Amino acid sequence: MFPIAHFLYLGAFLFSAGLVIVIVKKNMIMVLLGIELMLNASNLNLVTFNQLYPDSIQGQMFALFVIIVAVSEAAVGLAIVIKVYHYYQTSVPDEINELKD
Amino acid sequence: MAATPSYDTAVFMACAFSALFLPLFSFAVSLLISEKYSWLVTFTSPFLLLLSTLAAGVVLYSTWNQQPFTMTWNWFTVAGSTFAVGVFLNNISALMLLVVTLISFLVNSYSAGYMAGDPDLKRYFGMLGFFTFSMLGIVIADNLLLVFVFWELVGFSSFMLIGHWKEKSKAADAAKRAFIFNRVGDVGFLIGLMILWAHAESFNLITLSTSSEALSWKTAASLCIFCGVIGKSAQFPLFSWLPDAMEGPTPVSALIHAATMVAAGVFLLARVYFLFTPFALDFVALTGCITALLGAFAALAQNDIKKILAYSTISQLGFMVLAAGAGAPEAAMLHLVTHAFFKACLFLAAGAVIHALHQAQNQSHFPFDAQDIRHLGGLRKKLPFTFFVFIVSGSALSGLPFFSGFLSKDAILASLMVWKGTGFSWRWLIFGSAFVVSFTTVLYTFRLIWSVFQGEEKSTAHLSITEPPLSMRVPMTVLAIASLWIIVSPNPFDFSGWIYGGLRSNSEYLHISAISIASASWVLLALAFAYLIKGRTIRSSMLLNAFYVNSIYKIVVERPLFQLAEITARTDKKLIDGILHTAAYAQLIIANVAGWFDRAMIDGVVDDAAILAKGVGSFTRSFQGGKIQLYIFWAIFAVIIFIIWTLL
Repeated sequence: MFPIAHFLYLGAFLFSAGLVIVIVKKNMIMVLLGIELMLNASNLNLVTFNQLYPDSIQGQMFALFVIIVAVSEAAVGLAIVIKVYHYYQTSVPDEINELKD
Repeated sequence: MAATPSYDTAVFMACAFSALFLPLFSFAVSLLISEKYSWLVTFTSPFLLLLSTLAAGVVLYSTWNQQPFTMTWNWFTVAGSTFAVGVFLNNISALMLLVVTLISFLVNSYSAGYMAGDPDLKRYFGMLGFFTFSMLGIVIADNLLLVFVFWELVGFSSFMLIGHWKEKSKAADAAKRAFIFNRVGDVGFLIGLMILWAHAESFNLITLSTSSEALSWKTAASLCIFCGVIGKSAQFPLFSWLPDAMEGPTPVSALIHAATMVAAGVFLLARVYFLFTPFALDFVALTGCITALLGAFAALAQNDIKKILAYSTISQLGFMVLAAGAGAPEAAMLHLVTHAFFKACLFLAAGAVIHALHQAQNQSHFPFDAQDIRHLGGLRKKLPFTFFVFIVSGSALSGLPFFSGFLSKDAILASLMVWKGTGFSWRWLIFGSAFVVSFTTVLYTFRLIWSVFQGEEKSTAHLSITEPPLSMRVPMTVLAIASLWIIVSPNPFDFSGWIYGGLRSNSEYLHISAISIASASWVLLALAFAYLIKGRTIRSSMLLNAFYVNSIYKIVVERPLFQLAEITARTDKKLIDGILHTAAYAQLIIANVAGWFDRAMIDGVVDDAAILAKGVGSFTRSFQGGKIQLYIFWAIFAVIIFIIWTLL
């Protein structure tokens, strides 16, 4: 049995990687990818912490919900990206700055 | 109020006040009359003055040799001291009242002819009225404060009249000079009044005359008042304004010399005679004697008709002051009255000559100085009437028997005779100089008349000269008649007639026959001598300039004054202006510093605040750059900070 800490390190790494992708990547699709990564990092955490309480399954259940929400989010997000791409001919959020001025 | 039952008080008061205020009314009328009808004043002023003269005649008739009439009202009260205005009419003032109004009336009617065509008739006649009113105020006032007020008014109106032709710079200067010289004397008068008030606490003439002891403050006060007399009556050393005052119109000179200006000094001397202590009287006599000699000798060398008469007035005034100083104010007053008539007459006659010549000059455009006797001569054929008047009044001035001047001069000589005493003293010298003056008087009078009326005609030969109009001849006639002995006394050789008897307060100094005889023969001798040297002129620039008194003033007074003015001007420029400039420069420096401080500090703070705000603004703005990922970054950053903050 691996100690819990290893899973938590992995989760933290995944979350950080997702965050970095969200912040750094230009393309909106990559940003969505980073969000997925972060969601999965949190799923990993949920499952890991559930191991401390073997009698309950709330952790795993919550992870399942998160996966569903993530799927929906990705679907809606990609739809928005496609719409935005249609409208602006770009999927880079920095170039979409009509609200700024 | 102490009226005597011998006359009707109401009528008397009405007369006294109309005599005083009608000239003032004439002044008001002349001022208020419309410019369009200004010729009317040549009728209203003489008429009002005639009424005033008649009223004065009634006053004189009522008060002569009666109880003096007094009347007092409170004027104002300051710090517990009450000042009064009042009327005090005794023989002297009642007589002066008539003399002043009469001469003023005659001068007014004469002026109607003399000044005809003058553009400023309103001012001229107005000031004549005001002049007369001021003099009458001096005459009837019962206290010295009131006298001083009118005294100043006399000075002011004489200033206005001497400078009547103000566009002539000489006339304006003469007016200024007369005013300033009078001011100098008046300072003394004012100080005298203060001394009087400090010691006697009264200005009232009657109150003052009751205490008779000779005190040192009385000497001081009387000498100070005498300063005012010196200024007003043109005594040595303040006499040189009088000859200069000849720049005024000739009738004004007549008025000044006879009744309203120089007479005020002698009148005041007689009025406050009781104040004078023996020492003060000696001083007065000496001043009078010097003045009489100076005036008489200066008159010998003058070439201007009016200046001869002016110096003669100075000399005669000196004579009067000498008489007053010799303890005979009544003799001085007698001479003042007779002198008033014959000197006014002489001036009016001289004015007639000048007027006639000016008229003739205007027709022929032949310019020469009509007042310079060197241009004149032989006018007796063309101006017989004026010649006759001149002869009569000139004889009175010279003191020929049967004329008023002889009697009044006799009175003075007689009083001097008694005054000098029997033992030999400096008073003999003064007595002798009185005779010298009398001799010289004959010389210059004769010279004047001779060079104007006798001999060959000079510059006037081609002119058609006519006698002056009736309005000028009548006053001259009246004054010529008044120059005869009859106004003084019925006996042409005894001066103690009606006037002198009324003026005399003690029984001394009566008629001395020896003096009369000596005086008469002395004058006739002088006349003979004058005839012998006729046509000759003394060319002495010392006499012509009246012993350089004016030059002495120039050196002693004028030049130091100008130097003082220059020094103060320089001090002003260097010191005061320097201080001001330094102060201004210091202020400039302070202003510059303050300006720099304002720019660098105050504005700097404001600017820095603005820059700070701008920086903060652009800093905070930079978070809202529309970059979604940056928002996320900052959100995460904040969360991390928050977590660290809470955990640690």
